[in-house]
Amino acid sequence: MRATPAPIRRARRPVVTLNTPFDHNAELAACARGERDALRRLYEREGRYLLGVALRLVRDRASAEDVLQDAFVAVWTRAGSFDPQRGDGRGWLYSIVRHAALDWVRAHRRTVSADEETLDALQEASAEPGPDVADTVAWRSSVRQLDACLERLDVAKRQCVLHAYLDGCSHAEIAERLNAPLGTVKAWIRRGLAALRECLA
Amino acid sequence: MTDAQHPNPPHRPEDTDALAAGYVLGTLSAASRAAVRERLPRDEALRDAVAFWEQRLQPLADTVAPAEPSPVLWSRIEAALPAPRPAATPARPRTAVPPPKPWAAWWGSLALWRGAALAGFAAATFLAVAPSVGVRAPAAQFVVVLVAPNQTAPGWVVQASDRQRALRLVPLADTAVPEQRSLQFWTKADGWDAPLSLGLVQPGQPLEVPLDRLPPLQPNQLFEITLEPYNGSPTGRPTGPILYIGRSVQML
Repeated sequence: MRATPAPIRRARRPVVTLNTPFDHNAELAACARGERDALRRLYEREGRYLLGVALRLVRDRASAEDVLQDAFVAVWTRAGSFDPQRGDGRGWLYSIVRHAALDWVRAHRRTVSADEETLDALQEASAEPGPDVADTVAWRSSVRQLDACLERLDVAKRQCVLHAYLDGCSHAEIAERLNAPLGTVKAWIRRGLAALRECLA
Repeated sequence: MTDAQHPNPPHRPEDTDALAAGYVLGTLSAASRAAVRERLPRDEALRDAVAFWEQRLQPLADTVAPAEPSPVLWSRIEAALPAPRPAATPARPRTAVPPPKPWAAWWGSLALWRGAALAGFAAATFLAVAPSVGVRAPAAQFVVVLVAPNQTAPGWVVQASDRQRALRLVPLADTAVPEQRSLQFWTKADGWDAPLSLGLVQPGQPLEVPLDRLPPLQPNQLFEITLEPYNGSPTGRPTGPILYIGRSVQML
């Protein structure tokens, strides 16, 4: 049986959060009432983090800003459908941005074929953000559950999850990055997700 | 992996969960993503599974390095928002020009009046400080401060002088205008059926409109700047979102 999961309560940037309490749910309710200032406060609070998420997925600054713009218009028009019973407002905001970015990626980024140009572009793209995904992920105590569950996965499966979630990689792109057959990558992701599901439940 | 290749199969719980996980993780194709989105409103198990994955994986999104948005991005977002709206307005594609809305609905909308009221407040504030910013009261018979709806910072000032027989629109701040769109300046006095276009406005540039083209100005006359298609409103009425709005104040 699937019970409705309890939302993870965590302070992402504790210093800021402690100094200036910010009620995402209340701001979304104000957006639903047509208060543009509330949308602006959400933008000022989360814009740079949301753009970071979109940019990592989309890998192009102008397109990432277009995605963020569309996402904020969607937040504005859909704020009335946000249900605090189903999760926190901050997560809702991030989900809208991530899905807008993923839609863009799936619509615009060609799945890799192994031609040289694509490979070059990919290597550049993966080199650009700096260190490898696993290094940039901060394994902090506040995300202990997810961290613990990710750590239980073997390296290849964990890499698959991170490349997909953070970088918007398709199965084929992950296969290129990990230099593994496509079928193997699909199996890693399927088993990795099943293991995570069990661990996170 | 059998994601959403099949639109209406009987769903085993583990299939539903794998589909939700793929959707949140981002590995589904565009077509499969669309299929999930189409299914979500009527499939509670899928909604629950998507919510599960979104909540559980959120900590990963928090590890991504922030990126500072361009300074103009907020103006672009604001300009792309649907005009003052009733409770549930469907989202419009960003590039589409909003269809003309019935004038009466626009005129009666709450946000418009709220904006106008704020503009009145801003005008009063502006008048209070006017001597210190060098505006010569005797020359201007009317002044209007245009502010963005729900904002208090003035964006433009309108000065109308009988002596000069002209109405002058002066920018106080820059206005970001999306490509292929234009700013259009309008006015409407009490008793008019519809607003009158005073012409297109270049962002950051003043505009002078001869008063002999207009009926005599009235106190409390509405002025506004809307975002319109590149060549201006095709209907002769405002069709786009209101970027700035204010009402005229008669100077003593």
